Amino acid sequence: MSRIMAHMVAFYPDRERSLAVAKGLVDGGAAYLEIQFPFSDPTADGPAIQEASQRALDAGFTVAEGFELVREIAALAGSRSGPDGAPPIFLMTYASLVYARGVDRFIADGVAAGATGFILPDLPFDHDEGAAAAARRHGAAVMPVTVTSAPASRLDALLATDPEYVYVALRRGITGSRTDLDDATLGVLDRIRSTGTKVMAGFGVSDRGQVDALDPHVHAVVVGSALVRAVAAVADEPPDAIRAAVAGRLRELTG
Amino acid sequence: MSTTIYNDYFGEFGGRYVAEVLRTPLDELEAAFKEAMADPGFHAEIDDIAATFVGRPTPMLYARNSSRELGGAQIFVKLEGLANTGAHKINNAVGQALLARRMGKTRIIAETGAGQHGVATAAVCAKLGLQCVVYMGEVDIARQRPNVFFMELFGATVAPVSSGQRTLKDAVNEALRDWAASFADTHYVIGSALGPSPYPDMVREFQSVVGRETGQQIEQYVEAEGLSVEALVACVGGGSNAIGFFAPFLNREQPRLIGVEAGGRGPEPGQHAARMKGLGRTGIVQGYKSLFLLDEDGQVQDTHSLSAGLDYPGIGPQLAALGVSGRVEFARATDAQALEALRFFARNEGVVFALESAHGAAEAIRLARELPSDRAVIVNMSGRGDKDLFITARELGGPRWKAFLQSEVDRFADSGAIGGAE
Repeated sequence: MSRIMAHMVAFYPDRERSLAVAKGLVDGGAAYLEIQFPFSDPTADGPAIQEASQRALDAGFTVAEGFELVREIAALAGSRSGPDGAPPIFLMTYASLVYARGVDRFIADGVAAGATGFILPDLPFDHDEGAAAAARRHGAAVMPVTVTSAPASRLDALLATDPEYVYVALRRGITGSRTDLDDATLGVLDRIRSTGTKVMAGFGVSDRGQVDALDPHVHAVVVGSALVRAVAAVADEPPDAIRAAVAGRLRELTG
Repeated sequence: MSTTIYNDYFGEFGGRYVAEVLRTPLDELEAAFKEAMADPGFHAEIDDIAATFVGRPTPMLYARNSSRELGGAQIFVKLEGLANTGAHKINNAVGQALLARRMGKTRIIAETGAGQHGVATAAVCAKLGLQCVVYMGEVDIARQRPNVFFMELFGATVAPVSSGQRTLKDAVNEALRDWAASFADTHYVIGSALGPSPYPDMVREFQSVVGRETGQQIEQYVEAEGLSVEALVACVGGGSNAIGFFAPFLNREQPRLIGVEAGGRGPEPGQHAARMKGLGRTGIVQGYKSLFLLDEDGQVQDTHSLSAGLDYPGIGPQLAALGVSGRVEFARATDAQALEALRFFARNEGVVFALESAHGAAEAIRLARELPSDRAVIVNMSGRGDKDLFITARELGGPRWKAFLQSEVDRFADSGAIGGAE
């Protein structure tokens, strides 16, 4: 079975239902959870996640309550087999939220709530305001993001920081069969993997074919918008129905 | 600061805090910008369009009647709003569009709030034969229909933005998304001196023509009258007109440089767009570090100004740094003060300030009253007020304006003209 890092937005559609989403992702076999703290101006996200973020903010998300939610999700156990209970959690958000709280405090609070690592797309690895160092101090990791179009020198500089994980944002619109993952893309994935770094890759992954094509080249396949859209389709249903729908959608992708 | 073309950071502010996908186009843009600025041929192209299309130099008016009535310092008005398309925005649009053409780009995207930057960009694209898409929030489209009309007349596509607050910052987000997928053939023309580097440096350089002309006109018209210049005054939204106006003076100790922010309806959160003097917080938003209106979690707060061009939560990083260092002072004018200044100069001088620029005019009035008559205050009328007709007339025109609008609708319906360009 393919390893999936499953994405969700904290407080989307609301607090209680987002906890149900997390339970559904655990039921569905997620290997990792990527929990996004919503930001008012998420420039690196597409429309589905932007809309979800706005609704989450309207539902009363605050950073402090977000950490509380993470704590509850991290304590989920018994929903699936395996020695560790709930899957490791990566907290994804934008620089503004991290900087406003103070980088060290944000990371410390995230780790205390149960996060294994952080994904901060608008804090470049070479101007990260001390986030990676703070994460190391607190026993966690920042997962830097790269793109397959990055020049080799940029990727080399990133890998020189010896990251435990790297998130590779693939081109939009990879369309499902192995052949559509061009050599350059696979070359980047394999290059990173050869250093021992765990590669998480995604961006627009929405069907089983894409997951199967990526799986041999990565540590985990990231599924984001597809799951947010699945939540959107049942957003006003009771929590149990959301949990079941999300688990079902994730199983479709993992087989 | 003004003598260095590429700074990246201004004190602690500035930088390039973007998702990795945007790093490649920004690196390319930085290289192309530096290369072009070192090429006299590029400057000659800009100067040619400035003279034959933009309408440079723009005049400087000695506001004698106003100065006499106020009884203090002498006010001069840099009439930048007489530039083609009605505001300083055209200077930056010309510079960036020429740079884009030089880079081999065939498609231009832009964000716009009030519509002035969109109109300027659309006009330049029409002139240079570039494809143009302007992102504009639905709220702004609804309140700035005349500018939408002009952009479409110039052949641009106006793309409505329905996310977030549906205003300027949301249009920026959408333009950034477009660019992340399109940079191979597309250049993103940011309209203000903000965003990730090299934009703050680039926009300042393209706008600094306003300051250079002002320097010459001060010698020619102000000092020739035996006056000494106390201050230059400009409104500040993102800050492109202010930084261009101030640029040649930044390394001097005099004159005073005063930026005027939108005081809106008052200092309560959501009621204004003033970032300086303690209301803004240091943050990282839309690719740069600066002072923003944020809540304690770092979420961007709603803003209000009667002038759409000042209705934005962030200030350009160089102005933020200059505010911290004290070289640029900051003041505020409320919606009501801006409207009153607009009336004052219209009646006394026969010029109509754009609502944005009228915030600067309000501060010039306040300042002139405090100063002796041998001093001069120079205010930048960065835009003219034609574009605000539907806002100023609603505020100032009374029932006759309402009756006129009603009769226009009736005439429009009777003529069967509905449909048209759309």
